[in-house]
Amino acid sequence: MNSIVMKQDASTAIRELLAYLLSSGRVDAVLTMRQVPETGSCDLGLITDPSGMVEAEPFLPVMTANAGQALSSISMSGKRIAAVLKPCELRGFTERVKREQGSFDNLLTISSICGGVFPLEKVISGDLEKLVPRYIEKTARAEAPRGLRETCKACEEFVPMNADISVSVTEHGSLMHLHSDRAEEYTEGFEGERIEARADQSHIDRMMKSRSAAKGKLFQSLEKSSGLDGLVDLFGKCVGCHGCSRVCPICYCQHCDFESINFDYNQPYFQESLEARGALRLPPDTILFQLGRLTHMSFSCVGCGMCSDVCPVSIPVAGIFKKTGERTAGLFDYVPGRDSEEPIPVMVFKEEELGDIG
Amino acid sequence: MAAVLPVGSDLSGAMNRFLKTILEKDIVDAVLMPMKVPSGDSFAWIIMSDSSIVDDAEAMAPVMPVQGARALRSLTRKGEGSIRVLALMRPCEIRAAIELSKLGQVKTENLILAAYDCPGAVPMDSFVSDPSSGEDLFRKMLAGEDVSAGEVKPSCTSCVEFSMTDADLHFGHFGLGGTEVLLIPGSPKGMEILEALELPADRETSIWDEAVRKRREKQVASRDAAFEETGENIRGVQGMLNVFADCISCRNCRAACPICYCRLCHFESETAKQDPNSRLDSAVTRGGISLPADRMLFHTGRMTHMSLSCVSCGQCSDACPADIPVAQVFSFVADRTQKAFEYSAGRNDGDPLPLRSFMKSELSGIHEMVSDAEPGGHAHE
Repeated sequence: MNSIVMKQDASTAIRELLAYLLSSGRVDAVLTMRQVPETGSCDLGLITDPSGMVEAEPFLPVMTANAGQALSSISMSGKRIAAVLKPCELRGFTERVKREQGSFDNLLTISSICGGVFPLEKVISGDLEKLVPRYIEKTARAEAPRGLRETCKACEEFVPMNADISVSVTEHGSLMHLHSDRAEEYTEGFEGERIEARADQSHIDRMMKSRSAAKGKLFQSLEKSSGLDGLVDLFGKCVGCHGCSRVCPICYCQHCDFESINFDYNQPYFQESLEARGALRLPPDTILFQLGRLTHMSFSCVGCGMCSDVCPVSIPVAGIFKKTGERTAGLFDYVPGRDSEEPIPVMVFKEEELGDIG
Repeated sequence: MAAVLPVGSDLSGAMNRFLKTILEKDIVDAVLMPMKVPSGDSFAWIIMSDSSIVDDAEAMAPVMPVQGARALRSLTRKGEGSIRVLALMRPCEIRAAIELSKLGQVKTENLILAAYDCPGAVPMDSFVSDPSSGEDLFRKMLAGEDVSAGEVKPSCTSCVEFSMTDADLHFGHFGLGGTEVLLIPGSPKGMEILEALELPADRETSIWDEAVRKRREKQVASRDAAFEETGENIRGVQGMLNVFADCISCRNCRAACPICYCRLCHFESETAKQDPNSRLDSAVTRGGISLPADRMLFHTGRMTHMSLSCVSCGQCSDACPADIPVAQVFSFVADRTQKAFEYSAGRNDGDPLPLRSFMKSELSGIHEMVSDAEPGGHAHE
């Protein structure tokens, strides 16, 4: 595969590429993480002015929002956009495109082998400055930095699946791999030595080893949450803010079913429930919401971890959803976000499937 | 004047017994009160008609995971029904319920709203990470012992409406040394409960009055200091931008707010959605924009929509994953917007919502308010 050797660190090189794409008029805007130097606060920037690139931190190990979600409507503007996305953000975006919530038509996607991100609370508390240098050092050696989100530690999908350009960083240097004609076309004229190379497989294998071990542990720790009692134990403290669904890249409904009038109950319902059970939790349907959301989106869950990040009562939402998602998607040999052409399982009719469900 | 409830050893337990009695005697059909969740690290609102279940409930919970008014809204949004329910809640929860009843989202006809002297609540994040310390802390708070301000929900440390005598029934315990609770009726509904229990309201309340007055004095001072600090922090557009810089647009604040009852928030609706092309145009104009966009518009918009009814319960801050002092800002603004209309959110006095009542002449001081809020101090004429 055609690859560009990056002379400087990956962030600087991508920053230069983005500035090049903007100033050469190849793209109209760039989507990237950025960090405001004065306040240290991070956000996703949609940048049109090449001079704005000084604030860009394309590989900042932070996720303030799933960028796939943020990119969704913008990608349908018809303007050309280069977007730097983490692999799970790209997969989230791909799932949205399948739901007609986004478009690849005018998009150049740039992703990287992902070392994971820090929990939002660490970002907010201002620990980032200390954490990032160590993070860069560790991930270059395929080691897991400390303090990452549980979801990221256990993520096995850290290699971008369908990016135009992917970046790999090892101790031996950084490479920009060009996966598509669009990547070749957009990078034409961008300085840098071209070589034939792929991402270092032994580096990926080493990362995978620790990820798989962490995933085994995470899933094991969630075993106790199976069955109705397990679910009540796990979700009993849910405060019903539904923040998990709002930050989810897959939950795109403008008006969630569980917030609709379908879930308002009239007085006879309460009276009958009290007569039958003597007591009832208010607002009702705490577990129903979680199970319903799992039913609606688990097979498309990309395990990005935003749900856990925003949960005000620290429920390990992402772990549960990822674990369930792997099994529901697995039933259909489906991998969410793998391929934009691969149809969503529930949208495809097969005369014979799921024979063993009973 | 008040009736007296002897306590024995346990304040919360005595209140539980009272609630159990009114269920057993069919004075009400159900009570709504907190109960610990099975995992032991939070509480949930449970409506119960079976009096034996009251034994497992907790009259006063250390935390406020779900604002009680939201529980009442889910119960009565679709209409009254015929069951009479007594809801025992914190004053800010009762006040939010009263606001929601004015907004047509809670029907109070068959509800008896009962409040208690609230010592404040423990923040949710610290409680879920260490429930037993949280419970110890709350016991200290109930007993009136000094605890460090940082351990309590920030809104609670500056709450001046911690005791609510215009609830239907109020459980007053401050200053009484934990030996008895005063049952103070605030309405005919509350009076009926006492009469049905044959509890005469014949005790004068001066010791309790004095304790509440003293506490309020302290709380007012702490609120004023908090307002001063917040006022400085949010001064001008830049001040607001700084305070909300870490907002990730999850809208947990709106979801946790008892007043924000809209099923589909305006700011999440089609109306508020900007066409992707004009979004890009504004990026071009400014060189770049932040996504998700319109964060300040959301916060200032929400403020415009609900600050007149804000009860300063602090749920917004508790639910914020980015630790933004949302409640302090909203409380500060609410104090001013409510004063402008001489309105106090949650008072059970039948005062109509300011935006629902027309007055030929009002808001004459708006120019000074604008001037006061601007860094340069010049009002726009």
